[in-house]
Amino acid sequence: MEIFNALLAGFAAAITPANLLWCLVGCALGTAVGVLPGIGPAVAVAMLLPITGKVDITASMIFFSGIYYGAMYGGSTTSILLNTPGETASMVTAMEGNKMAKSGRAGAALATAAIGSFVAGTIATVVVTLFAPYVAEFAVKLGPPEYFMLMLLAFTTVSAVLGKSTLRGMTALFAGLALGCVGLDQISGQGRYTGGIPELLDGIEIVLVAVGLFAVAEVIYAVLYEGRVQESQNKLSRVHMTARDWRRSVPAWLRGTVLGVPFGCIPAGGTEIPTFLSYAAEKKAAKDPEIKAEFGTTGAIEGVAGPEAANNATVTAALIPLLTLGIPTSNTTAILLGAFQNYGIQPGPQLFTTSAALVWALIASLYIGNVMLLVLNLPMVGLWVKLLKIPKPQLYAGILIFATVGAYGMRQSAFDLYLLYGVGLLGVLMRRFDFPTAPVVVGMILGPLAEAQLRNAMSIGEGSAAVFFQRPMSLVLIIIIVAVLVLPRLARRMAARKELQPV
Amino acid sequence: MSNTTSPTTAPETPTPDPIWPQALVGAGVLLTGAALAWGAVGISSQAGYGGIGPNFLPWLSSVVLMLCGAWILWEVRTGGFREMEAPSGARHGYWAGFVWVSAGLLLNAALIETLGFVLSCTLCYLLAVQGLRRASGQASADKPATWLWDLVAGVLISAPVFWTFTQFLAINLPGLTRSGWI
Repeated sequence: MEIFNALLAGFAAAITPANLLWCLVGCALGTAVGVLPGIGPAVAVAMLLPITGKVDITASMIFFSGIYYGAMYGGSTTSILLNTPGETASMVTAMEGNKMAKSGRAGAALATAAIGSFVAGTIATVVVTLFAPYVAEFAVKLGPPEYFMLMLLAFTTVSAVLGKSTLRGMTALFAGLALGCVGLDQISGQGRYTGGIPELLDGIEIVLVAVGLFAVAEVIYAVLYEGRVQESQNKLSRVHMTARDWRRSVPAWLRGTVLGVPFGCIPAGGTEIPTFLSYAAEKKAAKDPEIKAEFGTTGAIEGVAGPEAANNATVTAALIPLLTLGIPTSNTTAILLGAFQNYGIQPGPQLFTTSAALVWALIASLYIGNVMLLVLNLPMVGLWVKLLKIPKPQLYAGILIFATVGAYGMRQSAFDLYLLYGVGLLGVLMRRFDFPTAPVVVGMILGPLAEAQLRNAMSIGEGSAAVFFQRPMSLVLIIIIVAVLVLPRLARRMAARKELQPV
Repeated sequence: MSNTTSPTTAPETPTPDPIWPQALVGAGVLLTGAALAWGAVGISSQAGYGGIGPNFLPWLSSVVLMLCGAWILWEVRTGGFREMEAPSGARHGYWAGFVWVSAGLLLNAALIETLGFVLSCTLCYLLAVQGLRRASGQASADKPATWLWDLVAGVLISAPVFWTFTQFLAINLPGLTRSGWI
């Protein structure tokens, strides 16, 4: 009942005309950046982060969540029509959805993706509503050793488990940690890696790194390597699902949601695993030989419905670790954490008591945003598809103007624009040589927090690392970290050995 | 379109990518780690009660980056990066386009506080779009009409962005005049 009352108060705060407008603009902008190539939700939120200086926190958080959500809806449109997934979350949608579009069923693919996103997003928001307060209550009991271990788990999964190469993931993570060291040490006030440059005393802005790595790098990469790439767009058919499509989609949406929510809740990051798992589950669940034959050939609607639902469920549930533990599990949630920090608020277990009005308004806005996005994406899909007609040279050059706003607007320093260019070049190198970028952002934003928790934990332990093994929760987390590092490798090795064995 | 390829021509076998760019990346990571270690020497080790001082994370990052650099170089020596996805796009970079975009970004950084946001970003747009047009092989890229059109488009994007952010969201962006409109 208490939760219900808090949620009602959240709705009251979220449905003021100004906040509804912020939500609508955020959802529309999010859909646009999801549809447009070269720009994703992380970079859109990062570029607009300077607004935190002037706009009220509730309004800006509703706005940013709208972008975060909207981009997930918009991303599926590009994947289905162009076969160019904007981000890893839409990779599976691109696989099966594009095949459906090629066989003249683009409308059904778009409809199942949008409605599936709505269903999964709403169910996951209910999960956030019901469980986040309890997780926060539990998280109050965690001390610095447990927090440090949770952050270590996030580092481990984002760098060593999710990527293809542990080595390149680790390199990216420690590059991010080193970038996070620049500036004044938050405990002792000692300057680190400032090189006598006054602008570096405040550290490097996360906006600058995110915009440089994703937006500027994308433009430089496009001019260097992708100038002549031609994309063929599939024809958009009427956005409509038949009764049979509905019958096939509903179980897939529900299965995708059930798979996606837990992955969002744990600080393990990434939508790759739940979307791929959902795709595999749908393939396995297909008993009808006719449906089975559609996978990978003409495109099966379950292969779009399941992964899209899993994707949205993960993305929504990722707000639980962000809001209750202050741990981001993706690029966008890392930037959202940066937005909270700009207001001097550190998400964590106390957030539900100290900023209850803000949290519940944010959660209420997720319900409203989901409805808005369904309306924006189903009948108006033709409008968004028109965005794909913007010629790439003009689009990419225009992105640089917005990148300038993001990087310059935070600190009004031209020095940051030189730094932006440098980070852009780093991003090109990383993309060319297949280094993941998420560990850089997560390392940079979570690094200083993890360092502070480590130093506090060591102080509790009077300088002894034994403190991490003496507390049961911390010990459990250590075991989980070792397990996520060892088990996948062990499983791979065993599978390889099995293949080598003579039959 | 005439087809001049002889049917007897053997199919072209792609030459493997040279290994030296990967070696350069490994060396770069190694040197970055070394530079960070050099910087960490000057950071205080005052550990206080916990036994971990402000120099702990810098040292950890530098040592791990040096190890990663060395490991990357070992991978290069023994066959190249493992489990690497082939990069998207062309095999060789279009460097002329890169120079155009770089010029746009660097001039923007150099001139934004002198010319103001609108003119500086228009210049950035103009140079970047020129590079991107050339990269996509547009024959009309260097025609005066294209330049003029891009100039207009640059102003039409930067000016509303400037107004929105300065007038509505009260974000400080540099102007050429104090009027708040340019």
